[in-house]
Amino acid sequence: MNQSSKSTVMNGLPWILPAFVFVVGLIYYSIFYTFKLSTLDWNGLDPLQTSVGMSNYDKALNDWIFWKAIRNTAVFFVITFLIQNFLGFLFAAILHSNVKLATLHKCLIFIPTILAPATMAPVFRLLFSPQGMLQDVFDALHLGITVDWLARPDSALFVLMIVTIWQFTGMSFILYYAAMSQIDREMLEASHLDGAGKFRTLLSIVLPNCKSTTISLAMLGIIGSLKTFDVPYLITTGGPNHATEFLGTYIFRQGIRQSHLGYAAAISVMLLVLAICGAILVNRMNKGGDK
Amino acid sequence: MKKSKVVGMGVAAFVLMTTVLAGCSSSKEAEDTSSETSGEVVWWGWTPGSPTNEQYIAAFNKEYPDIKVTWKQTSIDAYDAALKPALANGKGVDAFEVSAGSGNGGIQVFGGQAIDLTDAVKKALGDDYKDKLNEASISTMTVNGHLKALGVGTVYSGNLWINQDLFDKYNVKIPTNLEEWKAANEIFEKNGIYGFVQGAGQGAFNIDTFHAIADNVSPGTFTKAARGEAEWTDGSIVKALELWKRLFDDGIMQEGALGLQQYPEANNLFMSQKAAMVMMGSWYTSNALPDTMKAAIESAASKAEPFTMIPINFPDIAGTGHTGSMFGDLDYSTAVSAKSSNIKAATTFAVWLGTSQSGQQIIADSLNVVPSLKSATPDWDNVKLVNPDKQNEPIKQYLANAMNSGDNPRFASINADMNQALMDVLAGVAGGSMTPESGAAQLAKTQADSE
Repeated sequence: MNQSSKSTVMNGLPWILPAFVFVVGLIYYSIFYTFKLSTLDWNGLDPLQTSVGMSNYDKALNDWIFWKAIRNTAVFFVITFLIQNFLGFLFAAILHSNVKLATLHKCLIFIPTILAPATMAPVFRLLFSPQGMLQDVFDALHLGITVDWLARPDSALFVLMIVTIWQFTGMSFILYYAAMSQIDREMLEASHLDGAGKFRTLLSIVLPNCKSTTISLAMLGIIGSLKTFDVPYLITTGGPNHATEFLGTYIFRQGIRQSHLGYAAAISVMLLVLAICGAILVNRMNKGGDK
Repeated sequence: MKKSKVVGMGVAAFVLMTTVLAGCSSSKEAEDTSSETSGEVVWWGWTPGSPTNEQYIAAFNKEYPDIKVTWKQTSIDAYDAALKPALANGKGVDAFEVSAGSGNGGIQVFGGQAIDLTDAVKKALGDDYKDKLNEASISTMTVNGHLKALGVGTVYSGNLWINQDLFDKYNVKIPTNLEEWKAANEIFEKNGIYGFVQGAGQGAFNIDTFHAIADNVSPGTFTKAARGEAEWTDGSIVKALELWKRLFDDGIMQEGALGLQQYPEANNLFMSQKAAMVMMGSWYTSNALPDTMKAAIESAASKAEPFTMIPINFPDIAGTGHTGSMFGDLDYSTAVSAKSSNIKAATTFAVWLGTSQSGQQIIADSLNVVPSLKSATPDWDNVKLVNPDKQNEPIKQYLANAMNSGDNPRFASINADMNQALMDVLAGVAGGSMTPESGAAQLAKTQADSE
């Protein structure tokens, strides 16, 4: 950097400094404060705060519900990521061909993304209830299926995945659609001239050109899965018997319901570490692929 | 601009921001600007909700016109999360509802933010105030010798409510034991109606049902175990867990019960006459009032007419003959924030609501809770039920039975960790992922850890 550009940076810095310090300071203040809380045994209100060192972290590592939440997060991420992005990619490819009423279809696919989970949760609770609409359909068809999926530990998590896939496929679709719009038309025409069929073009030309979008979606998916709270909290409250517990719901349960603020803070710090590790991992995989 | 100057400005801005943020958690107590007859009180709570709270405020303002009370309601689930930062901040909360034990707004958590009301209640009722108030309203609200809140009323559980009209219509015998309960369920189900319904996905109500079963097996053992005076691995607790499991296996609980919430779903099924029995406590009594029931039916998206609901004893499913057990706590009490700038006015309001004849009479007539002031009982000449011929006597008897239930708290003896453990174990046993023995062992372990 020469003297002139250095001077430009130094002249510009004061203008962004207040906002920079406020935003970065606020975030890092919160992180350090959360870390400090994680070393306490405190209910969040009492003047008495007992320092317990790192024992809240030790407690988390020996807590089966914490590990259940981690496992649920991993399963949730893998399945929702694969299905959501497969569908998003497929819809984007279809809508790049000559489809009638394409704008209407785009809207229909994207609308669930902008609906608030708080609005949709009661609808899904009703839909997946033994007194709900799905049960009425099964009964009308005499299928003999009882829609008690939210009541069963082995199926409740999959109901949450269905809700999430329904809601966020639109996001994957819109990003893939934008990425496909950037692909050079000549490249597609060249593959066609070389005799590649539509499926081969999709796999060998379109998909590789959407790699950065897939990587971004993977990173967002990891962070989103780790932060998952609203859908499980509103539909199953983490149950039955913690079968749909996520780190977010467990932090809320420990910090608010059971007033173990220090323990909740320790899990929050661990969540942050996992989110950073996940983001770094995906980033490295991306760079490795580029090489 | 020099680099050192820029860095200096950055450090200064950071220090300023940190100071501002640190100031957010200031614990300074504000100066009291109110008097005993004037001020502005913001009253936080989760129950009973509009318009009942506004009716209480209107009655209060007839006696204290210069104290403006503003009701601020949150949902029962969001209460703790909303109140904690508000109390820590010290602004916008003057009076707030608390409850006994491990429920939301638990006095053990929030009591530290409240003033001692002993002198205020002595001034209102005299030195013998303990004789004039329900015992629980004093004992469960006393923390380290300080009376931190004044009970407004008590709720009891341990019974079922039935739709008497449906029982009459289908000529069903009111169940008194497990076999009769199963038989009643079968008749209702043949007619396209749920027999018994429970939102077993909302754990607190499972604890009620389990407590009723445990008292049926061995009266008092549940409370002793909660207080650490008996083991959770006691044979009677294991037996109660086995019976709890049987409710699911024998079809007493409706299919998918573990995925259903008591509110709104189970409540709505009962209120829309799609279910004939439900496990609810004394708070449900207010639904025997025509207007309250109409509102509840409308909330359940039903157009049904108000019906005759009556309380019955929990069936003797253990076959021991120990029936009619009830257990209760203060539903809610009013505390005064130590950081309020309206302490005197808020104290006047809390004392009026919890100890005055006029305040407690309104509470009694609402049938929502059993009032704390012993001399306040429902004025049955003014209280008109949906079907007085069939409801008056059972409900009078029910309330009398509840008030004489003795030392059998609902949640007051259960701390937050045990509350969670009970919910987990009951869901685990019901779902088959845990045996009654391992569930009892889990309860014992949590009790030991939390002590």
